[in-house]
Amino acid sequence: MKIKSIFKKTVLVAGMVAAALVQAQDIKLGFNGDLSASPSAQSGKAGVIGIQAAIDDINSAGGVLGRKLILVIRDDQSQPPKSIQNMSDLVDNEKVAAVFGPTNSGNALAWRHIPNQKKVVSMGMIGSGTDITKPMSPGADNYMFRVSMVDREQVAGLVAYAKKSGTTKIGLMGETTGYGQGGLKDLEEIAKMHGMTPLATEKFAVSDTDMTSQLNKMKAAGVDTVLVWAQGTPTGQLLRSMEKLNYFPTFLTSWAADNITFFDAAGKGLAGKPIFMRTMVAPSTPAQQKLYDRTAAKLAAPSAFPFVIHGYDATLLIAAAIRQAGGTDGVKMREALENLSAPVQGVMKMYDKPFSKTNHEGLTADDLAFVKWNDDKLTQHSDAIVKSLAKADFKR
Amino acid sequence: MDIAILQALLSGLAVGSSYALVALGFSVTFTTTKTLNFSHGEFVSAGAFIGMSVLFLAVGKPLTSTSFGGVQPDAMIQLLALLAALVVMGVLGWLLFVLGVRPFASRPGMAWVMSTLGFGVILQSIGLAIWGPKPVVVPSPVGDDVIRMFGIGVRPQELLMLAVSLVVMVIFDHVMRKTMVGKAMRAVAQNPSVASLMGVNVNLMMIGAFVVSSALAGLSGFMLAPIAQASLFMGLAVGLKGFSAAMIGGLNNARGCVIGGFLLGVLESFVNLWSAQWREVAIFALVILVLAIRPNGLFGSNMVEKV
Amino acid sequence: MKGLKHLGCVVGLSVVLCALVGSINNDYYLRIGFMMSVYYMCAVGMNVLVGYAGQKSLGQAGLFAAGAYAVALLTTKTEISPWLALVLAALISGVCGVLIALPSLRVKGPYLAMVTLAFGIVVEKLVSEWTDVFGGAQGLFGIRPLTWNDAPFSTQQWVWFSIGLSAVIHLLLRNLVLGRFGRAWLSLQADEIASASIGVRVYQSKVTAFVVAAVTCGIAGALVAQQNQYINSDFINFHLSIFILLIVLFGGVGNVYGPFVGAVLLTLIDAALSSWPSVQHFVYGALLLFALFVMPGGVMGTLTQLWSRQRAPVGERIPCSEEIKLQFSSEGSDDLLDVQSVSKSYGGVKPARDVSFRLKRGHIHALIGPNGAGKSTMINMLTGIVRPDKGLIKFVGQDVVGRQAQAICILGMGRTFQNLRLFGELSVLDNVMLGRHARMRNGFISSMLSLPFARREEASARERSLALLQMLDLLSLADKPAGSLSYGLQRRVELARALATDPQLLLLDEPAAGLNPQETSELGDLLVRISRMGLTILMVEHHMDLVMRISDHVIVLDYGVKIAEGKPAEVQANAKVIEAYLGSDVDAALVN
Repeated sequence: MKIKSIFKKTVLVAGMVAAALVQAQDIKLGFNGDLSASPSAQSGKAGVIGIQAAIDDINSAGGVLGRKLILVIRDDQSQPPKSIQNMSDLVDNEKVAAVFGPTNSGNALAWRHIPNQKKVVSMGMIGSGTDITKPMSPGADNYMFRVSMVDREQVAGLVAYAKKSGTTKIGLMGETTGYGQGGLKDLEEIAKMHGMTPLATEKFAVSDTDMTSQLNKMKAAGVDTVLVWAQGTPTGQLLRSMEKLNYFPTFLTSWAADNITFFDAAGKGLAGKPIFMRTMVAPSTPAQQKLYDRTAAKLAAPSAFPFVIHGYDATLLIAAAIRQAGGTDGVKMREALENLSAPVQGVMKMYDKPFSKTNHEGLTADDLAFVKWNDDKLTQHSDAIVKSLAKADFKR
Repeated sequence: MDIAILQALLSGLAVGSSYALVALGFSVTFTTTKTLNFSHGEFVSAGAFIGMSVLFLAVGKPLTSTSFGGVQPDAMIQLLALLAALVVMGVLGWLLFVLGVRPFASRPGMAWVMSTLGFGVILQSIGLAIWGPKPVVVPSPVGDDVIRMFGIGVRPQELLMLAVSLVVMVIFDHVMRKTMVGKAMRAVAQNPSVASLMGVNVNLMMIGAFVVSSALAGLSGFMLAPIAQASLFMGLAVGLKGFSAAMIGGLNNARGCVIGGFLLGVLESFVNLWSAQWREVAIFALVILVLAIRPNGLFGSNMVEKV
Repeated sequence: MKGLKHLGCVVGLSVVLCALVGSINNDYYLRIGFMMSVYYMCAVGMNVLVGYAGQKSLGQAGLFAAGAYAVALLTTKTEISPWLALVLAALISGVCGVLIALPSLRVKGPYLAMVTLAFGIVVEKLVSEWTDVFGGAQGLFGIRPLTWNDAPFSTQQWVWFSIGLSAVIHLLLRNLVLGRFGRAWLSLQADEIASASIGVRVYQSKVTAFVVAAVTCGIAGALVAQQNQYINSDFINFHLSIFILLIVLFGGVGNVYGPFVGAVLLTLIDAALSSWPSVQHFVYGALLLFALFVMPGGVMGTLTQLWSRQRAPVGERIPCSEEIKLQFSSEGSDDLLDVQSVSKSYGGVKPARDVSFRLKRGHIHALIGPNGAGKSTMINMLTGIVRPDKGLIKFVGQDVVGRQAQAICILGMGRTFQNLRLFGELSVLDNVMLGRHARMRNGFISSMLSLPFARREEASARERSLALLQMLDLLSLADKPAGSLSYGLQRRVELARALATDPQLLLLDEPAAGLNPQETSELGDLLVRISRMGLTILMVEHHMDLVMRISDHVIVLDYGVKIAEGKPAEVQANAKVIEAYLGSDVDAALVN
């Protein structure tokens, strides 16, 4: 009896030690972004679904370097101070190998010095603010990467569209958040490159419901094409204010218009007016369709699907980096990403040396398409202007 | 530019009517109990959500749906929802007074201020747990098509809000000035012990003040929802601006508060015309300015104390 | 706790904390420690403003922003050293504190809360909308942090620095709060009018409290900006103001250790719940209500209640020194007070119509008349609480019409009130020591640094107050809250307080009201004794026996008009006086 019980205990202890060892072998990946507070929260949630799907697939195929991946999630409620605290939690406490996120561009700008200082890779998959992937100082090692839409790229496309349409009477509008301000900056700079000066530039707050005053000023200045950078809800309210004035200039805006909050705010009738750009319109490859079928039920709206793909692909790229670096050392991971030896088959596309020392964007304007709401679906938009656009028109 | 000014005026009056209703709510409790509900904003949001939930249930959708999907509840159902909002908010107001204000009203310091703030936070947390942070588009009882007149556009809900606010204010004014109830409320504010000796049920008056004030908040939220979308954060801005309006008008003067509300709305609209980004700064700087010159508000009166 | 012992404890605790910090290498925990100190600094200043001075302020976020953006702009747009930038940021915040205090001159209560709230919002909007200067939501990058040995502070060094700074701020503010300034602030909270009547510069005290809160919040903001090397408008919002207030409330309002307890506990709770933001939100609301209902004095309040039950009343421990001879100054001309043709009307009511009289030094004067004659109004006009419409009031040769109450008190007028205005929550001794406030000469800096001069002033004020209490037979009650005494004793405390201001003229508004004949007689003896010490007295009274017995000179008012004046016996026999009190149909013989 005694031997049997000692044997049992030994097996138990050995099992626990093994489990602990195995546990210690798991690679932690972190997500730091808004999942609940801002109008963009649905994108955050979709991104997490994508990351988790990729992790599940990778783990069932044996993991990375024989180790399983685990996702640690932190909701920053779109508040920069919280986002900074989360970053510290993930990097110093949880000791993650890489951080995904954030949802809101302003938050990345607030904490991007942390991954750079601590030498931990951050792979953005939602926030599109241009400056996120800028190095801390020119030529310095940069630990911020991204595989998502980039504001600058979208702006390049939209301004090219405006220029090609032949108008000179453009107007700019932006919301007063980091996202809106960053977008406005890009718009002004790229417009200048095309030799266009906006006749009016107006701002509004995220919670505004009546922008008729600002629009009247645009109208008075003679603006016939307006470029707007804001989140879903205020963009919708902007259209409603336009309806009050019966003033409908050509409306070019950011990908935030793909959000269900925009569609709800604008209503079916008005939602079809804006033209914007996205990385994809609808699942067009078997892989995308398969992922869509797998995750659609969990999404707040089908239009959030691209972020599932971005999250999935971001995870694949990180996994590839870890494999190439032979471990989770941040410096090696960065070098690996900047010089991926083997192409990575992502759901969006095939990533063949997507990053370099100077380019940390996985997706560029070439990967974007013009889209519009059609009833309650997003469809690809094509008109004479779009057809006439060439790569050279995209100044950035 | 005249059209623009006219448009700004109308928009300003529409949004000002919501501020005026909120300001009135503040004035009611202050004139009777010398305290305020610092979480009036959360009560506004709550009113919107109660109304919205009743509408959802009435058209057969679950409480926590996120969209009406084009379903238009008819007028009777809307009225029912409004009634529900008023009743529930009234009860909340009673709870707030009994639990959160009466125990602290006589204590010096910020006890009742913090208490009402605490209530607001809890209310918002409960709301977030039930409905989540996403705003919901609520159908208006009078439709959504833009009405155009004299070259400017306005939505029917905005006109409805304006009309309802004016009616409420006129009724209020009449009650406060011409009826015994109004006089009793003012007596309670001046000197509760003497009012009590005169046969006024002081406790009932104070409860009544909070019930009415909270019901007003519920009304504001319900009316505002089709314009601004029902969201648990909608009340914050409106509450703050409504409070500012009450300060400018004079907390103990109901008419002043209402005028302050409209004034603030129109001012906001006109500053928007000039430069939208300075709007908030302009409004709150105005508050500071008015209070610096006339500490009791433009129409408020000084409360004399015997030394 | 005595000064040196306390200093030792603080230094000891700081050393232990720093050692603990030295052993932690996890940046996440270090950050929490840093934030604890930051919140502590905000809370300790706010405690002075809200807990001691009793000013309802909801605009702390604006003061935090002032410090943060000041340091951000200074280090990004100029080349000055980050240490100097920190100091300048503290000064700039102080100036903002003066600005936010300006409205407090005219508004009180919820109006003040609103104005401070508006200030906070204006600052919040300024930094988010004026993007050219403040960077708006994008914020300001590249803020230069504090450096040591040419390298930016490591997280550990930040925590050490902030612990040290917190300890210093604690010591300085504790000195302030336990002495002359702390008492003055508490008196403001209790009763502003009484406070002014004993010589507290009400407005300046309020501004000082605001500046203290501004400087500590500003330093906290500057440290956060420098540690993050980034600041944007999202850091500044109403929630921050509420959180700081919650710390003060939860820790214990008006308690020296409250902010420390509150900051540590709440930062820990905040960090523990950070993974569940919605729960966090709910918990704050619940904590707020919990603190208000269950622990109104905060954690420290509840602890002190438990602790104080075991302490012996101080009254027994005060050494009874020999009776100190109290002398009131009696130099100067014979005519102490000269009232010339003073008039006042409130619409149809005219409490004063062309009243003139003179008070001679060293005498006991009485001001009598039927109810509504204007006696209290006259006292209020003399002490500067009410301003006469016409006429001249000369006190010790100076014109005092239009002067503030506290200035008149400093000139030498002391008073008691008809409806007792004691600082009920303060001890009897503190009430009387407040009377000494205007005569103590230790200023802000010397009080804050607890220089020997300040400590001497404090000791001598205490001695004199105790002597006064002894004279008035109140010594055994010195540590009891003034509001807990019986009515008659409270009146005596108010008298002691007025005497403590070293007056030349003592104005008593119905000193015998509510006293029985025995007490009235004792009061009379006391007043005579005080008068012999060199004090001039003017009392408003209805107790005719008292008036007749002790007064040298009586003035009679009726409906705002002086109808008689002279020695008590003369006035008693005056027909007009009799008519005023009893009406014209009654025989004069009935009065005698």
